[in-house]
Amino acid sequence: MLKIEHLTKHYKGSSKGVTDLSLHIKPGDIYAFIGHNGAGKTTTLKCAAGIQDFDAGRIEISGKDIRKDPIACKRQFAYIPDNPDIYEYLTGIQYLNFTADIFGVAARDREERIKKYGEAFEITASLGDLISTYSHGMKQKLALLSALVHQPKLLILDEPFVGLDPKAAVLLKEIMHSICAEGGAIFFSTHVLDVAEKLCNKVAIIKDGTLVACGDMETIVKQGESLESIFMEVVEHADAD
Amino acid sequence: MLMQTKIGAQTKTLEKTKIWTQIKILTKLELCNLYGLNTFRFSRDKKAKRKFLGLFAAWALVAAMLVFYVGGLTYGLIYLGLEEVVPAYLITISSLLIFAFGMLKEGSIIFRREGYDILCALPVNNGGVVVSRLIRIYVENLLMTLAVLLPGIAVYVWNLHPGAGFYVTALLGIWSIPFLPMTAALFIGTLITGISSRMRHKSLIAAILSVLTVLGILYGSSRLSSMEGNIEPEMLKKLSASVMGILGKVYPPAVWLGANITQGNIWGCALCAALSLAVFAAAGMGVSLCYQKICQGLYSSAAKHNYKMGTLKAGSVLSSLCMREFKRYFSSSIYVTNTIIGPVMACVFCAALLFTGIEKLKGLWLLPFDIEELIPFGIAGTFCMMTTTSTSISLEGKSWWIVKSLPLSVKNILDAKILMNLLLLLPFYLLSELFLLLALKPDAQELLWLLLIPAAIILFSCVYGITVNLYFPVLEWENEVRIVKQSASAMLGGMGGFILAILCAVAAAAVPKAYTLYLKAGICAVLLAAAAVLYKKNNRFDILGKI
Repeated sequence: MLKIEHLTKHYKGSSKGVTDLSLHIKPGDIYAFIGHNGAGKTTTLKCAAGIQDFDAGRIEISGKDIRKDPIACKRQFAYIPDNPDIYEYLTGIQYLNFTADIFGVAARDREERIKKYGEAFEITASLGDLISTYSHGMKQKLALLSALVHQPKLLILDEPFVGLDPKAAVLLKEIMHSICAEGGAIFFSTHVLDVAEKLCNKVAIIKDGTLVACGDMETIVKQGESLESIFMEVVEHADAD
Repeated sequence: MLMQTKIGAQTKTLEKTKIWTQIKILTKLELCNLYGLNTFRFSRDKKAKRKFLGLFAAWALVAAMLVFYVGGLTYGLIYLGLEEVVPAYLITISSLLIFAFGMLKEGSIIFRREGYDILCALPVNNGGVVVSRLIRIYVENLLMTLAVLLPGIAVYVWNLHPGAGFYVTALLGIWSIPFLPMTAALFIGTLITGISSRMRHKSLIAAILSVLTVLGILYGSSRLSSMEGNIEPEMLKKLSASVMGILGKVYPPAVWLGANITQGNIWGCALCAALSLAVFAAAGMGVSLCYQKICQGLYSSAAKHNYKMGTLKAGSVLSSLCMREFKRYFSSSIYVTNTIIGPVMACVFCAALLFTGIEKLKGLWLLPFDIEELIPFGIAGTFCMMTTTSTSISLEGKSWWIVKSLPLSVKNILDAKILMNLLLLLPFYLLSELFLLLALKPDAQELLWLLLIPAAIILFSCVYGITVNLYFPVLEWENEVRIVKQSASAMLGGMGGFILAILCAVAAAAVPKAYTLYLKAGICAVLLAAAAVLYKKNNRFDILGKI
C-alpha cells in the first residue's frame, strides 16, 4: 500500500530531517509512528503525502511513484496534518463539498457519507457555520470527515487524536479498524503510546531522523512489557550507540 | 484622607509606569518583524533570506524612483522660482501618500486578529496594544516621509543654501508630518472597521466602504482641481501664492508647517508639531476606548449550529477551485479594496467620458498627440493597477498544504487563480467598453483595438502576476497587509500590468501615426505570445520542491 525506501530529506541550514528511512505499510495495517519532538515524524508523513519534496529515496503508493505520478497517488489516500489549518472563509459543508468535487465523488455518495460521519462525530449542526468559528477539535473532526468523504484506501495522519473529545477518539479508532478490515491501511504519528499499543498491529520508532525499530507490535513489545518501556529503552540504546 | 490620596497617587503612578512598560514591550514586538526583518535575521533557510533580499531590492527600486521624482520636482519648482513652495509641496505629497496607504491598512493593522486572544489573556491594557500598533504604523510612515522629504530637501539645500534656522525647523517639523494624515486615515479606517464589525459580511462591507471612500476622495480632488482650472500657467510662475492656495485647499497644515520651516520659525514649527501630536494622541485615545468593542464585534463567532443535511451538488474540479478562490477573495477586505479600486476607477472614468465627451478631455490636457489612441492603454493600466493573481498563492498561507495534498495538477491550481481574476474583471471590462463605445463611437478598426488592447494587457497581467508569486511566495504571515501591501510579489507582480500599459502608451504616443496600427498589432501579438509562454512555464513549476 505505502512503500518508503531509503527516504532521505534534510533541511538546508538545519540538522533536522530524515536519513535513509525505509518502511512498508501493507493493506490491513494500522501502523503507528512514534518518536520524540523533532525526530522526523512529520517530515516523513509529509513526504509520504507528497506535499514535501525529498533528497533521495523512493515512495510508492499502490505501486505508483509519488514523484512520477503524484496525482494518481493522491487519489489513493487522505492526509491530515497535526494542526489542520482549513480554509476559514468556507463553511464546513462548503469545504466537504469542495473536497468531494476534487475527488469526483458523486452527489448521492457524498450526501450519504457526510450524513453518516457527520452524525457520528456530532458535527452536522455546525456544518453550515464558517470554519473560522470552529474549535480545534471541530476542525480536526471536519478534516477527518473530508478524508472519509472520498473513501481513501490509505490514511496518513499526523497526531490524529489531539483535540478530539473521548467519544470522537473512540469513533476514530473504530473507523480505523473498519478501513483496515476492508483492505485499507493507516499510517499515523502519535505521542500517546497507550493508544498506539492497543490500536496498532505495527509500530516504527524514529530518533533523530533515523529509524531505530520497526515491525509487528507483538514482536517489538514482548510479553510483560509496555510500548512505553520499549520506546524508552530503544531510544536510550540508540543514544548509547 | 491625606494618606489615601497619597496611596491613590502612587497607585496611579505605578499604573502609568506599567502602561509605559507595556507599550515598550509591545512596540518592540511590533517592530521586531517589521518588513520580515526578524525572519531574515534568524531564519536558516537561504530561500527565505533570498526572498527578503528580493523584497528589499524591490523597495530600494521604489525608493530610487521616488528620489528621482521628488528631486526632479523640487528642482523644477526652484527653476520656476517657486522655492517658497517646496517644503509645503513635499509635506503635502508625503501626507497624501500616508493618508492614501494608511486609510486602507491602518484598520487591518490595529484591529488585526492574529494574537488577539493571547493579548486579551495577558495583563495588558488596550491602550498599550493600540499605542504599540500606532507606533509601528508611525515608524513605517516616518520612513516614507523621509524618502519623500530628504531628496527634496537635499536639492533645496544644494540650490538655495538656507541658514541654520532652516535645518533646526526642518528637523523639528519632519518627525511630526505623519501625525495628521495618520489621524485622518485612522479615523476613516476605524469608522469603516467599526461599521463593518456590526455586519454579517464584515469583510465585504469593509471593502465596499473603503472603495466608496477612495472614490469620494478622488471625486473631491477632481472638484478641487477644476476650481483652480482657470489659473494660467504663467500666473503660477509668477505667483507662488497661487500654488500655496492650492496646497492650502488640499492640505492646509502643510502650508503652515512649510512656511515655518522656510522662515526658520522654531516656535511656530514646535507649535505645529505639538498640535499634530496632540490631535494624534487624542485620536489614539479614542481608538483605545472602542478597541475592545470593535474587536469583539469583528471576532465574535456567528455560529448558528442549525445546519440540516440537504441535497448537495457535484461540480467540476475547475469550477470548485474557482468558487473557492472567489470565497477567499471576498473574505478579505484589504485584498478586495486593493484590487478592485482599479477596475472601479476604469468604469467611473469611462462613464465620465460618456457624460462629458472626449473633447473636454482633450481640452483639459493639451497634449501633442491623439489622446483617443491612448485610451485603450489608459483603461488597461487602470484595470491592472493591482491583480489578484500576484498575491493569490501567498494568501493561501497556512492552508497551502490542502491543495498540495489533493490530487490536483499545478495547472488545476493556477488555472483557477487566473480564471477568478479574469471573471472578476469581466463585468468591469464589459461595462467600461460599453461606455467607451457610446462615448467614442469608434469605427470597426478602432473598436477592435479598443477591445483587444485592454484584453491582451489584462490577460498578460494575470498570468504574469502568478509567475511573480510563484517565484516570491510568502506563506508564513501574521497579517494579510504584509502580503497585499508589502510583499515583493504585490509590488513586482501587481503593478506589472500597470507599468506595461504606461510603457505601451508612451510607445504609442511616440510612434508616428502611420505606424500606430502596426504598433498596436505588435503589442497585442507580443503580449498574447508572452502570456502563453509564461502560462506554459508556470504549469511546469515545481510547486512541491519550491513552495
